[in-house]
Amino acid sequence: MMAELIFRNLFHRPLRTLIGVLAVAVEVALVVLIVGLTSGLLTETAKRIEGIGADIMLQSPSAQIFLAFSGSPMPIKIGNKLAELKYVQSVAPALLQFNSTGGIDVIYGIDRESFRAVSGGFVFLEGRDMEGPDDLLVDDWAAKAKNLKVGDTYNLLNHDWHVAAIIEHGKGARLFVPLATLQDLVGAHDKASIFLLKCTRPEHTEDVMEQMRQTFPGYPVRPLKDFLSLMTSTNIPGLQAFINAMIALAVSIGLLVIFLTMYTTVIERTRDIGVLKSLGAGRAFIVRALLTESAVLCIFGIFAGVGLSYLVRAAFLVGYPTLSILITPEWILRAGGIALAGAIFGTSYPAWLASRKDAVEALSYD
Amino acid sequence: MQITTTIRTLSGGLTLSGQKIVEPILKTENLWKLYHAGKVEVPALRGVNFEVLPGESVAVMGPSGCGKSSLLYVIGGLAQASRGRVLVDGNDLSAMSDGERTKLRRHKIGFVFQRFNLLPTMTAKGNIAIAQFIHGDGFDPHRFDVVTKMLGLEGRLHHKPSEMSGGEQQRVAIARAIINEPKILLADEPTGNLDTNNSDIVLEMLRRLNKDLGQTIVMITHNPEATTYFDRVVHMRDGVIVDGVPAD
Repeated sequence: MMAELIFRNLFHRPLRTLIGVLAVAVEVALVVLIVGLTSGLLTETAKRIEGIGADIMLQSPSAQIFLAFSGSPMPIKIGNKLAELKYVQSVAPALLQFNSTGGIDVIYGIDRESFRAVSGGFVFLEGRDMEGPDDLLVDDWAAKAKNLKVGDTYNLLNHDWHVAAIIEHGKGARLFVPLATLQDLVGAHDKASIFLLKCTRPEHTEDVMEQMRQTFPGYPVRPLKDFLSLMTSTNIPGLQAFINAMIALAVSIGLLVIFLTMYTTVIERTRDIGVLKSLGAGRAFIVRALLTESAVLCIFGIFAGVGLSYLVRAAFLVGYPTLSILITPEWILRAGGIALAGAIFGTSYPAWLASRKDAVEALSYD
Repeated sequence: MQITTTIRTLSGGLTLSGQKIVEPILKTENLWKLYHAGKVEVPALRGVNFEVLPGESVAVMGPSGCGKSSLLYVIGGLAQASRGRVLVDGNDLSAMSDGERTKLRRHKIGFVFQRFNLLPTMTAKGNIAIAQFIHGDGFDPHRFDVVTKMLGLEGRLHHKPSEMSGGEQQRVAIARAIINEPKILLADEPTGNLDTNNSDIVLEMLRRLNKDLGQTIVMITHNPEATTYFDRVVHMRDGVIVDGVPAD
């Protein structure tokens, strides 16, 4: 009977119910997508860096783990010192340049030979390795997103590049150019943002890292096989705060709309509340009825929100194929829980108000 | 007080008949109800003394603003008395908390209002069944069938209030009020929004409830003709009972 009362009330004002459901859906989708976008970006970036095939990475002391933010080049001569360390098989410098023109990209300036020695080389889907100073290697995802093919000219950093090859994704960046050309373009002569090291044997990684820490105190030395675990929102300055702020904003939207929906519901049903009281319904019954109604509305909203999240993700991926949005069951549940708690909280005052209504006044309400 | 009583069950069977001393099922003693308009106290009831015996049907008449509705709300436990006592089936409402009065209302009082006051989102069936649900004993299909058949609602149970005539809505309201077999049925101008034909139908049903089932009824009305369906008529004026003296 309670279920019938709730469902009939919900369907009595379909537009209001729809607005409430949409508000919760937007709330859930915002949480799921914001977290999915950040964690997707981090995970995908980390996987690509792990996919380089190197064992260790050295960064400058002020550099951050999120390489796109690393604008702290080191002298390229450091590479020579690294190569002298015991158990080091090869060292590859890379200059990283963030580009936001025509999309958001991190461009790796690499030395072809040393990068091949560290990474084992690219898998060429089309074209050939870089030979000239203006050659550009594009991974398959970026090629699809930018609609590039071998032989095309592509302007990047205000420079025309020749697309030499389409390579398989997963080797650090999506765009690779010759190190020397990039150094010239950005005015970072004889500089590198990171050094990638390959050890003679993987089990020597710890030894080499220890040597590096002693030789370059204060320089972050990171094993690449653990890079995925290091790429968390808490390791990126300000990111967790941003996520929390976005979640709080989403929850506030949901909470306010639910509050308004239930508040107007209570006002509109003043007479009905009086009727229920005349039938002997106590305060607990009134509160329970309204909280359950709000919870049911919220559950519809959660399902709609999950659907909306997948829809938005699909739409984004059509427009931006290189984007990675990671929707996980864990965060769907969390977003649902947050929305439900917000809905209950948002309904608690209107429900309390309803339960306290004077029955006689309620019955004479027009 | 010595009177003759006849008590029948819902199915109409005579269970007890004979001479018996009967306590009033409803009694008020020096009942006052004051409303506050700013700092001014406005008395709606000014020392009402009133008794209703089990199985009795009483019509309360009086001009607008004489305190009829206030009396009904106070004896029904919807409003708290300012002074005096209200005894319903031996329970003193004036000494009860809001929660206790709610519980008493749930089990012993049935209300019928002038404006029907059906839940607009529910069907006739839902409006009646929700009273059973609130009562706490769950849905009783037998009782439901007996009541709806008696009130001629069988064909209208799946209709919402907006799809029913005023007379039908009021019959649903009566069914809802009596579905839990309350000790007292309180009706606040139940024919006030009905045409003559429907008024007669509703009044006849109330009369049958009283005569056939022994349902105690207190009804407020403006309509002198309606009082002919009742055992006794009580007149009110200026917040007091003026028994035996027509108020209008």
